[in-house]
Amino acid sequence: MKPAPFDYVRPASIAEACAILSEAGGGATVIAGGQTLMPLLNLRMSQPFILVDINGIAELKGVSRAGGATRIGPATRQAEALRDATLARQLPALVTALGHVGHYQTRNRGTVGGSIALGEPAAEMPATAVALGAEIEIASVRGRRSVKAEEFYLGPYMTVLEPDELVTGITYPDWPEGHVVLFREVAQRPGDFALVGMVGALALEGGSIARAGIAWFGMGPVPVRARQAEAALLGTGLGDIDADAVAALAVADTAPFDDHHASAEYRRTVGKRIFARTLREALDIRSVA
Amino acid sequence: MSFHASSVGATRYVGERTPRKEDGRLLTGRGQFTDDVQLPGMMHVAYVRSPVARGRIVSIGLDVAREMPGVQAIYTQADLAAIPVQMMSFFFTPIESPVTLLADGRVACVGDPVCMVIAESRAQAEDAAALVELEIEEETALVTIADARTGPLVHPDRDDNVAAEMGDADMLEEVIQPLLDKAPHVVTHTIRHQRIAQSPMECRACVASPEGSGEMTVWVGCQSPHLAARYVALVLGLPQESIRVIAKDVGGGFGLKNIPWREEVAVVVAARLFGRPLKWIEDRYEALTASSHAREQEVTLTIGLDEEGRLLAAWSDYACNNGAWPMGEDANIAVHMFMWPAHKLPAYGFVTRGWYTNTMGLGGYRGPWAMESLIRETTLDKAARKLGIDPVELRRRNLLYLPEQPVTSSMGIEVTDITPGECLEKLVAHVDIAAFRKEQAEARKEGRYLGMGIATYIEPTGSAGAMQPMTGETVHLRIEPTGKVVAMLSTHSQGHGTATTMAQVIADRLGVAYEDIAVFEGDSAIGAFGPGAAGSRQGVIAGGATWRATELLAEKVKAVAAHLSNASVEAVTIAEGMVHVEGAPEMSRSLKELAEIAYGDPARLPEGMASGLEAQFRYQPPPMTMTSAAHCCVVEVDAETGFVKILRWISAEDCGTVINPGVVEGQIAGGLAQAIGQVLLEEMPYDARGNPLAATFKDYLMPTMFDVPDFEYLHANTPSQTIGGMRGVGEGGCIIGPPTLVNAIADALAPFGEIEELTLPLTPARILDVIEQRDVSGRQAQPEKVAAAPVAAPLAPVPEVAEPAPAAPTGSVDGDWDMTLKAPMGGQTFLAHFDTDGAALSGYLSAPEGRQEFSGGMIDNGRMKFEVKVDKPMKITLKYDIQLDGDTITGKCRMGMFGTAKVTAVRPS
Amino acid sequence: MSEHRIDITVNGRRHTATVEARASLGEFLREGLGYTGTHLACEHGVCGACTVRVDGVAVRSCLMLAVQADGCEITTVEGLAAPDGTLHRVQQALQDNFGLQCGFCTPGVAITLAAVLDDDPAATAQDMEAAMSGHVCRCTGYQGIRRAIRQLAGEAV
Repeated sequence: MKPAPFDYVRPASIAEACAILSEAGGGATVIAGGQTLMPLLNLRMSQPFILVDINGIAELKGVSRAGGATRIGPATRQAEALRDATLARQLPALVTALGHVGHYQTRNRGTVGGSIALGEPAAEMPATAVALGAEIEIASVRGRRSVKAEEFYLGPYMTVLEPDELVTGITYPDWPEGHVVLFREVAQRPGDFALVGMVGALALEGGSIARAGIAWFGMGPVPVRARQAEAALLGTGLGDIDADAVAALAVADTAPFDDHHASAEYRRTVGKRIFARTLREALDIRSVA
Repeated sequence: MSFHASSVGATRYVGERTPRKEDGRLLTGRGQFTDDVQLPGMMHVAYVRSPVARGRIVSIGLDVAREMPGVQAIYTQADLAAIPVQMMSFFFTPIESPVTLLADGRVACVGDPVCMVIAESRAQAEDAAALVELEIEEETALVTIADARTGPLVHPDRDDNVAAEMGDADMLEEVIQPLLDKAPHVVTHTIRHQRIAQSPMECRACVASPEGSGEMTVWVGCQSPHLAARYVALVLGLPQESIRVIAKDVGGGFGLKNIPWREEVAVVVAARLFGRPLKWIEDRYEALTASSHAREQEVTLTIGLDEEGRLLAAWSDYACNNGAWPMGEDANIAVHMFMWPAHKLPAYGFVTRGWYTNTMGLGGYRGPWAMESLIRETTLDKAARKLGIDPVELRRRNLLYLPEQPVTSSMGIEVTDITPGECLEKLVAHVDIAAFRKEQAEARKEGRYLGMGIATYIEPTGSAGAMQPMTGETVHLRIEPTGKVVAMLSTHSQGHGTATTMAQVIADRLGVAYEDIAVFEGDSAIGAFGPGAAGSRQGVIAGGATWRATELLAEKVKAVAAHLSNASVEAVTIAEGMVHVEGAPEMSRSLKELAEIAYGDPARLPEGMASGLEAQFRYQPPPMTMTSAAHCCVVEVDAETGFVKILRWISAEDCGTVINPGVVEGQIAGGLAQAIGQVLLEEMPYDARGNPLAATFKDYLMPTMFDVPDFEYLHANTPSQTIGGMRGVGEGGCIIGPPTLVNAIADALAPFGEIEELTLPLTPARILDVIEQRDVSGRQAQPEKVAAAPVAAPLAPVPEVAEPAPAAPTGSVDGDWDMTLKAPMGGQTFLAHFDTDGAALSGYLSAPEGRQEFSGGMIDNGRMKFEVKVDKPMKITLKYDIQLDGDTITGKCRMGMFGTAKVTAVRPS
Repeated sequence: MSEHRIDITVNGRRHTATVEARASLGEFLREGLGYTGTHLACEHGVCGACTVRVDGVAVRSCLMLAVQADGCEITTVEGLAAPDGTLHRVQQALQDNFGLQCGFCTPGVAITLAAVLDDDPAATAQDMEAAMSGHVCRCTGYQGIRRAIRQLAGEAV
């Protein structure tokens, strides 16, 4: 199928992009990498009047450090982020998750911000942002605001972004050096969206968990933060963690669905197992180290 | 015939991994696929399709769409009906429930084409298509086979939703059940096979260009340009020569492209109406949701075995979903024909039905009858576990080995040279099963679940002469005056590499360099009729044709050389493009020199010999050539997630003479990858309203490189009875692959329990169902669950077959009747003439193809029993048992292996 | 719908053209410029048949607009072999190992493998296989492609 007709504009600045979005009155859609949007356009499931290409906006690209946080420009290509030394050092969980986003060819064009802004509930990037406590910077002609990733998602492909708004940055707070990375994804083929997956980070202090951020993907209409599990882990000594019990708490926060690839019950059953296993393996490795 | 015996030069090509001739253009982006064709003035087609599964078309609003930029025309069925079309099946029999090119008043499935938009670009055509206002009064859809059994009529003009049926329900009670009752062991297995989207990488495509006065050139993605041309001409009622089909490169067919279907034929019809070239390129969304589908079937098999595991009797009940508009109504009789010929099974009976539903129609797919192997091999393994017999040993006790042949199967299949047992022995000698069992036991202690699956199969290949359009192949060869060889073939490759393998045969048999052979195919103006890639036949039949044509050409070359050298023909040899005369090295000539004489100086040829160096041969092989194989695979099942990893896969297949191992292994591997897809990944599900749910490749899970292991091959090479000794290999992997993999998974899961009912695909959730012995997959929630038929319960009688009533009022039966036999390849109507003499009955059955006399029949109170012997499609005896009732006759006809067909007759109008 | 003047270089040859905003790069290469070696097999970014290199990087040409390729250098499958017709080593390896049958997915496969090897001439078989997750082949069962990869990595086939 071919897309429905649209106008194409390629603004050179955030201000210009915001002005276009504002004038379009809801009829514009932003394209960054296009790796999820283009299929929707080709299938005519998305029919904007104006396509706003942000690939020409230099200020939306690149990785930077500021005030105890790492900022990723939303138009940064996934492949570039995967190779980025700052991200490798500061956000190993994000880099691990990025390796599971799409395929070699789609990561060459897909962007970190595009994946985050679209809000596919079974995708890795939104859940990673939620788990790591990222803030999403948003701009429009009305001004700028910042939203916690956890509050950014409303439902499948639905976010708090207003039609005139543009994501301008994703800021991930620092995690202490040597923090533990949690990541596991169950997908039928490499590059598929997950049947169930989890991502997160744990910071240890004096043999117990000092900070925890964990989120599910594929386990509900939005990326789901495992709040009860995080609470149970906080302050607990490594030797006292009952991985199965924590995993049960983690699953209790989810609302998975049935589709023809897997049932909700499968997602809960396997989710609990991979959560417990991932926790066990990550902490065992940690204690051995 | 052995290919080792040779009178030609030392350079061997048959049996070599010769690089493919097709690769040069395909690797450099210079192939010619249908979408690569651009013609001056060509317009583009997009279809408006029904968004609902069942309903009456209230109105079609075209006004807005017609005003869209670039739109040239919008056709509905009322427009296309200006050119009458009668769609046919692959077997050139009429589609029983007449299908129109576009929907005619009613829609019967989601994706039913309703309008055709013609515009200057595809995008513009889609723009307009989106604005066609379609009002349809939606009715409750029948989606599943269970729906079809109980729901309203899919096609209101038909008696029931049975699209096709065969088999003899009475045989269960009369023959099979008593044997099962006496059997020490009875094992029943049920399989629910999902719906498959064939998914060649190139979707369907058609460019139709009207030329001259009524001729047309059609580029179409097909499996034989000859068949496509003949089909299109036939359904349009045109002379075949008025349609030229070109299909140089086709991106895979797999049965989907056996015949052009509604959309392609509609493009041809519309191009005639519109008078300009039209192009339709199916997109992937259409390909998945609106191309004919395959496979959706439910089958229950019950086998009885003695104490030692020897088969005593078997019964199966088979049903397949034909959808609304099948490419020929189908009860899949071949499942039953080929389930048991390789086994020592005394008695087999079945009922088999195809059902209409409001889903996309049934089409072909690699090994359409593959269920025979899947249900047999998985049931045998289930029996092996139940009886505590090793699965290899169970097969040894039941398979027919070569020394026990020839035999005729209980369904009339003549088995003369099959080798599934021999392949199994070869496999077992190669795979250390005992070591695996040890490893498996150790792994289980660690919570790792390994499984090994073994299966055997036979496959009818190279079918010719038994039914339309399965026939021979023609090869036209010549040595050009340049000394180069040109071959014009009736073959067609959608990836099969026929130009390569046929050139290998020519090079090998003639004694010329492979590089000096040019092969032309892929055009109905080249070669002669052949049905192309269908039924694993081209290597067998075209291979034989090429083999013999090359020998004929070599004979001519030798005759010319012998004449010129005043030597005997026996003294002449050809090698490396040189013609040598034994004992006279000075008389050696290149083929070029010889050709120059043959073409340019015919006076030097033997008297009466035609000039030039040409040969032609059409090969009609034996009706069927059997291929056999045994496969083994090893899997590991992750008990935590239900994921299956294939660790090893070994194929031991016997496809006779192997022309090119690279090509043969490629066919096996491709089929096995599709088998893996069917068992683990692929599914085209429908929701309860009849919406297809896998609309993109994100949802329709095609196997990737990570899902397919490295295959190991053990080639057994028992030459067949054909010229060259080849056996077909195109479909085998897709037939033997599913049971091999399912058996391995079942073996891995054995510590947890049986897969009681096998529902495909075996998703991770369904595997956890077995491991955890609870409903993880949510299968209980599925509304369309169908209970397996209990073994002992009598099966529902075949509907609409009137049992002969004892005291029906009768008149005279003498004279002519219009009789209809509901046969497996579609309905057959013919004239029946009866003469009675007291209780004696004789007469004849007459059809355009011929007349069959019969005598020795009996008539008693209107009930007639008589037998007719026929040669086609095979030598079988038709046993009629019919009842006269006034002006109608109803009853049935037992047709040997074809089961039982419904018979009706009326007085000629 | 907006139309745009673009200037792109394909296989070293410069082209200027006016494109509709909605035309994908793949569609434009095929229909606008006649590079029909690039095949559109799904148009939703899953199968990989349409893969081309844009400024050296392998991307799906169905998931990029032609207008977005303005000023870019494109390599399609037609641009892989040397001008004298000598096959690229990826093409040669695919032929040597029966890595194609119908050839419809092949252009994308060849482009991806060439891109991986150009980026890293020491790429391992594992590196190349990882990039192959983005390609679907219905014919070969991937056997020949995998053997070709091993040959390219200098491993035993």
